[in-house]
Amino acid sequence: MNPSIPPSTAEYGGDEVSAIVLDPGFSTTRAGFAGEDTPKSLIPTYYGKYTSEGQDRLIFSDDVFVTPRPSLSVHNPMGRDGIVEDWDMAEKVWEYSFTSRLTGPRPGNPFQNGLNDIADGELPTEMEGVETEEKPLADSPLLMSECGWNPTKAREKTIEIAMEKWGTPAFYLAKNGVLAAFASGKASALVVDVGASNISVTPVHDGMVLKRGVQHSPLGGDYISSQIRALFKANTPQPITITPHYLISSKTAVDAGQPSQAKYKTFPPGKAPDASYRTLLEERTLSEFKECVVQVWPGPNKLSATGPSGVSNEEVAKSNPGRPFEFPDGYNQVFGLDRYRVVESLFDAKAAIPDTESPFPAPTQAQTVPELIKNALNGVDVDIRPHLLANVVVTGASSLLHGFTDRLNQELMQTYPGPRVRISAPGNTAERKFGSWIGGSILASLGTFHQMWISKKEYEEHGPTIVEKRCK
Amino acid sequence: MPPFKDEHILIIAPGSQVTLAQLGLPESFTPARYRFPTRMFPAEKKGEFEPYKIRERRQDGKPSNGTSAPKEDVEMKDAETSAPEATGNNEAAPKPENGEQEDKKDPAEGQDTNGETKKEAQQIFYEEDITSDEGAIYPLENGHIVDWPCFFALLTHVHNTLSPPFHTPIMLISQPAWSARDREAITQFVFEKFKTPAFCMMDSALAICYGYGTSTAAVVDVGKGKVDVTAVTDFLVNEHGRGIALEGCGGDYMTDRLQELLGSKGFTREMCEQLKRSNITEILPAGTPLPGTAATARQNPNPAAAASTGGQDGGPNDAVPRGPGEGTQTGPEGTNGEDEDEGVLDVAAIVSGNTSEFLANREKEKAEKSSSKKGSVDQSGKPIRLPNSKKEKASFQYEEYARLEPEKDAPNAPPRYIRQTREIEVGVERFLSATPKQKTGERLTSNILEDIATQIHHTILSVPDASKRSELWDSLVVVGNGSKIKGFTQALLNTITQKYVLSPSATIFTSELPSNFSTPMPTGGTNTPAPGQTGPFNTPGHGVNPLLVAATHSNNPTAGNMPGTPSMDPSMASHYRSTGHSQTPTSVKTLKPPEYFPEWKEHGNSNVPGTSGSAGMNNGPNAGPGGPGAPSGGHGMEEAVFLGAQVASKVVFVIDQGLSKGFMTRVEYNENGPSAIHEYSM
Repeated sequence: MNPSIPPSTAEYGGDEVSAIVLDPGFSTTRAGFAGEDTPKSLIPTYYGKYTSEGQDRLIFSDDVFVTPRPSLSVHNPMGRDGIVEDWDMAEKVWEYSFTSRLTGPRPGNPFQNGLNDIADGELPTEMEGVETEEKPLADSPLLMSECGWNPTKAREKTIEIAMEKWGTPAFYLAKNGVLAAFASGKASALVVDVGASNISVTPVHDGMVLKRGVQHSPLGGDYISSQIRALFKANTPQPITITPHYLISSKTAVDAGQPSQAKYKTFPPGKAPDASYRTLLEERTLSEFKECVVQVWPGPNKLSATGPSGVSNEEVAKSNPGRPFEFPDGYNQVFGLDRYRVVESLFDAKAAIPDTESPFPAPTQAQTVPELIKNALNGVDVDIRPHLLANVVVTGASSLLHGFTDRLNQELMQTYPGPRVRISAPGNTAERKFGSWIGGSILASLGTFHQMWISKKEYEEHGPTIVEKRCK
Repeated sequence: MPPFKDEHILIIAPGSQVTLAQLGLPESFTPARYRFPTRMFPAEKKGEFEPYKIRERRQDGKPSNGTSAPKEDVEMKDAETSAPEATGNNEAAPKPENGEQEDKKDPAEGQDTNGETKKEAQQIFYEEDITSDEGAIYPLENGHIVDWPCFFALLTHVHNTLSPPFHTPIMLISQPAWSARDREAITQFVFEKFKTPAFCMMDSALAICYGYGTSTAAVVDVGKGKVDVTAVTDFLVNEHGRGIALEGCGGDYMTDRLQELLGSKGFTREMCEQLKRSNITEILPAGTPLPGTAATARQNPNPAAAASTGGQDGGPNDAVPRGPGEGTQTGPEGTNGEDEDEGVLDVAAIVSGNTSEFLANREKEKAEKSSSKKGSVDQSGKPIRLPNSKKEKASFQYEEYARLEPEKDAPNAPPRYIRQTREIEVGVERFLSATPKQKTGERLTSNILEDIATQIHHTILSVPDASKRSELWDSLVVVGNGSKIKGFTQALLNTITQKYVLSPSATIFTSELPSNFSTPMPTGGTNTPAPGQTGPFNTPGHGVNPLLVAATHSNNPTAGNMPGTPSMDPSMASHYRSTGHSQTPTSVKTLKPPEYFPEWKEHGNSNVPGTSGSAGMNNGPNAGPGGPGAPSGGHGMEEAVFLGAQVASKVVFVIDQGLSKGFMTRVEYNENGPSAIHEYSM
């Protein structure tokens, strides 16, 4: 190629756009382009709200965690059961999730993007009207996920937002259980999704959810947090309080178990962030605690049972060296047996640490993971049970708790000694966290999926009820 | 496709203030050869842009024979004014501009030659207005592209100025704030407008890692109005939890704060900006008493003593003396309020340089200026030098444009400007640039350092691979021209240490450890070395106290040695879970910049304001630091992004040649369209 000769002018003339996959969860909302391996955009579903100069302002994304604002309060548009409660805000949060990193606020005026030669005088023709009608998703199909028990009304509302507010040309709503199964390359699987607000068990057969088998219980990551709080409260000699970083100006090193000697920050009266903000930030510390300290008793048997050698499991657990943890205010302590106890109630309801002030009622045995799986299997046809047991897919960020899959494996082997139990849980943290998003990314980029989309035209013809017919 | 050559590669790194660009890779990588201000001025025709501010000046044509005289004058003066500037540093009267001027004047000239009859004809002169950037459009704000046509016009201007041959691959450094769609639009523009055969868009954080020669780093890029905090692990940018364009945390914060402190004393924003860039502005370590306050009062009347302790070295003195202890001082945060209220500190006074005086004897001043330009602008006249941090007052050189009176013999000549310098004295306000603003606005955090520290903590904590986190804490990279202020990085590290670094491992060894816990081996070698130390559980992070590692992971060797124990199977656990997840940070360190690029070594801090950095007032590409040896104007590793861009260009375009899909070729663009850039963008 001669550097002084301009290249031939063959230019790209296509208009391929990849679909956007949106996977809204209780704790985080994931969005990205179909065909990619992780969602480009990950924002908390929590949003902040405060008043400044007489105006209500909203903060989305990680900024909530980083900058405290005067009288900031934190809200979540999703209900604890994974169903949207505040539609207006859900729409805003979701919209933010894809406009911030993916599509940008609005596509620019093509006359001004520097690519089109404009003859004189042609430029300022009235493009105004056109531009204001431009919607954020006007040129990208949208695939969204939903939980297995999403009511019809919520589904219709979702397609309404996507079509009318965002102007997407094509839409599909898929169950996140199915998507998680796809992410591990299975069309039939028993999907165990341990999320922040829920644990759900979804039997999937040939890409379809077996509705009767879908089970869910509120013992998710937030429940574990509440157990940890209960543990801290009961701590001796003094209860542990979590003081988030934003309240501390500097800390001093103290010995383990000694009261902290941090310098605290003071906020001008009436400006301090709301209690909900503090709770959210405490949750950050708790999730660090879960990552570093908490461990699931790997089994066999419950933590309260006696092991094969005649020593009680608790004794064995005690003999394992503890893990230290330092709180933002400098208080630190080593956690031994306690770090097993906080999660034991996921498997053994009786082991729950009682706390009367917790927003979570004491769990029942039916809410534990093994029982959920048992109930889910009882809800499906006998013939496919062995197949499902051989394809147990574990997903959701809370399933990353140390030792969770080992314990689940033990429990299942005990309950179902006959058929082969096989757990497939991706080792990669991202794949585990974003299982259902990845499944959506795979699905939306399949060529065969193209006929599944609900087009704008179909929506205009049939209205929102079309979602019930098409997205089974 | 024939391989790309070093000299053909075009690198463009847009920033909110300056766009760095260079054509070709030199033998040894240099700071960017071109520095374009990231701004354009609206041209006469709507929708088009000019790189320079052009002012139209109409004047009555003067008679006759001297028609060509004014014109000559113009050019002469142009050259004249630019000459000292070029020897200075940032001002080279841009060549294309000259050409333009002439072109535009041609019609006027034609008129003149037509006839001398048109005595009253108005002549239109177009001249560059170098004194203000009023009306300028900055297409990048806090990293976001706010004005697309203007941004594209800027790219075109950069491209035209460098006028590369067609077989030129382009490396564009992308801002973290750009959305996927933004990147596609830029890709489309670059391919269709510049007809480039290959294009690579690299994330700025990644480029910085290339510049530092590291695969893993926590990159803190302090810009003008924003800060980007990015965790890069194994050359992979962690998008989740990334601190993108944290607003109100950049260099502007410090200018604002200085203005807040000094505004009442007659300081303009431009003065504060130059004060910030001068080397008398520092961020002192917490606990250092401010000079002039009680703790140091005794030092002031006794400068001789200080002088004898080697105060002569003009250097920034890294070993700023620590304060006598926290007890005596409440630290800057406590003191600064008092300082303001009591007015302890003297008003900054303008020492020299009344403008009118200045004009009167400008010839003399000119000579002085050029001499001061040549040498380093040391106030060598001063006999005694305390380290800056001990001086209650210090002065910096403020540069501004002054308009010269037209000369008598050529009243038609366009106004000329010279840059004049005067010294301005400042009190201890110069140490308070990072302290909390009074108008905190909507933030409750106390200052930028804390905001940045919080963001770093959040970003590193969001890295999914927990075992990488401690390595990230130990490889902090603080770059960007906003971080240039002396003591910034150190102060940031102090803030992190105060708020986040975990207490020493000593706290862990207490009686609370289980009884069967074997005594950890500090050296890890004398007794039976723990097999787990080398196993999959070993924390990869260096700099972690071995005691801590031993304590937190001693269960692992147990599991390995005694298969009977019903603890988890190590292989399983390591498979399912990122291991070695102890809490972080146990320490925090900055990464050392590479030493094998001589041009990137920090040069002695020149005191010339305006040279250091981002050039709010600089016009035109800076022919500046030409070869090695020429003062680089103090561009140190703050612009590591450009060094990284060169390293990466070499790797991507020359060495790898596209084998590992480092760049997008034209063929691929034609096939797959702009959205395919995401598969290549690094």
